[in-house]
Amino acid sequence: MSKLGKWIDERTGISGPVRSFLSYPVPKYVHGNLLYTLGGLTAIGFLLQVVTGILLMFYYDPSPEGAYNSVDYITFEVPLGWLVRGVHHYGASAMVILAALHMLRTYFMSTYKKPREINWLTGVLLLFLTLAFGFTGYLLPWDQKGYWATKVGSEIAGSVPVIGSWLASLMRGGEVLGQATLTRFYATHVVLLPTLVAILIVIHILQLRFHGMAPAITERAKRNSRKFVPFFPHWVVTDTILGLGLLALLVYLSWSQGVPLDFPADPSASDFVPRPEWYFLFYFQALKYFPGSLEAVATILIPLFIFGTMIVLPFVDKGDERRPWKKPVTTGVGIFYTVLIIVLTILAW
Amino acid sequence: MRNVNLPPLDPDKGEWDEKALNRRRFLEASFWVAASGGVIATVGAGIRFLIGNSLEPKKESWVEIGSTESLTPGSMHRVRYRLRAKDAWRTVEQSGAVYAITEDGESYTVFDATCSHLGCLVRWQEGDRVFACPCHKAYFDHQGQVLSGPPPKPLRRLETKIENGVLWALI
Ligand code: HEM
Ligand code: FES
Repeated sequence: MSKLGKWIDERTGISGPVRSFLSYPVPKYVHGNLLYTLGGLTAIGFLLQVVTGILLMFYYDPSPEGAYNSVDYITFEVPLGWLVRGVHHYGASAMVILAALHMLRTYFMSTYKKPREINWLTGVLLLFLTLAFGFTGYLLPWDQKGYWATKVGSEIAGSVPVIGSWLASLMRGGEVLGQATLTRFYATHVVLLPTLVAILIVIHILQLRFHGMAPAITERAKRNSRKFVPFFPHWVVTDTILGLGLLALLVYLSWSQGVPLDFPADPSASDFVPRPEWYFLFYFQALKYFPGSLEAVATILIPLFIFGTMIVLPFVDKGDERRPWKKPVTTGVGIFYTVLIIVLTILAW
Repeated sequence: MRNVNLPPLDPDKGEWDEKALNRRRFLEASFWVAASGGVIATVGAGIRFLIGNSLEPKKESWVEIGSTESLTPGSMHRVRYRLRAKDAWRTVEQSGAVYAITEDGESYTVFDATCSHLGCLVRWQEGDRVFACPCHKAYFDHQGQVLSGPPPKPLRRLETKIENGVLWALI
């Protein structure tokens, strides 16, 4: 250890924990399978969002009069503004995709079973918080898209029986969408959600370290499960390279597609058809099939049901079997929901 | 208090103060009371603060729709209104859309263009004489009644008044 390292270690005692974190043995069956990188990539995605988000805060003006112009200014006048905003914009979609794929990986391999329930539950919360990031972030440019998607989104909360109008008002900070709404969404997006997500990621990863990865399920993987490589550098290098690939993709998208910014929000424009961000399209599409009095079923009961089943899953599906091809029910349900969401998204595109 | 699970101390270091340990139960209880009191008070006040004034009903205001002469009987008029109103701590110009119609040039009906489903703005289609909502394919007739689609109730009708030949609506 260098002199400086020693000096710090004598005062903080940090080297032991750091070394054991870095030398953690990763089984070969994990190291050899890229599906296991999805969680780490999601974490890298989150880091990118935090960094670009902090940068954006230096120019963003959270008021209905100023928000649009400040975002326009970031996009077209601040040097590299298009890049910072672009990476944040496309990074949000990437995080949703990565978190969802990571969840499908852990779901189909039934890694949520005892003793990894808390890993799964924190994961479910992380997925919903990632979506909450998307929802609150969408409003911030105060353009037509964000304004109308939020209007519809808050009315969805308003359709909850009995307490609906209450919920909608709390969400908007009043009966109409305005300054109070923007401030609420802003504070939630830049402080509340990042803090919660950071805490949950730490719990999520510490849980993982505590139990180790769920045991191998295929014969081939089992043969590989008594050989290990250290977390650093072997596993970290894989994640770093893939992370750089992710960043390169986001930079490429920002450069080739540009970052969208619609016209400024106009509460009286009816030539604008509200549409949510693409990862909420399946939900938007589903609402079309539930007329009138059935509305609350679609807006609230179905999402609650899905969230509820995700929460109880590890306490219901408790057998030892983890091979997806031997578990037709969970595998079937997983495929059904995945296909349904994809089909609804395509229908709404 | 014999049964507390404290790790034995290295005799070279010293020993647990047995006398102080007798108060352990009491101190534990004190901690829980003090801490939960503090947390409940803070969280309670925090929640009240966050709710803020958001549950106060919106202040209604009269907005000018137009002169009665400009509203030709029998046809639906789309009006974009503007008003200066208080939005939390700012006073801002707000705008919105309504539809006004009169059959006889005497009584006027003004509809809020906000769809009763999830708040998109409806559009009048003169050909079919219906309001169409683009969001979830809903239709309302010229009275604002739901013809098809998900909206649970008719379009909202606004209170109106006429002053000096000008139609006003309460929004
Ligand atoms: C912000 C989002 C998330 C981050 C940053 C994250 C991060 C991670 C990381 C780094 C791992 C270890 C590597 C891997 O298995 O890929 C992991 C494992 C795990 N995650 Fe996540 N995750 C997130 C969301 C989720 C979601 C949405 C779920 C499910 C609902 C979930 C459930 C799990 C489970 C059960 C494991 C243990 C896997 C095993 O033992 O094989 N995570 N997570
Ligand atoms: S908002 Fe008009 S039909 Fe849904």
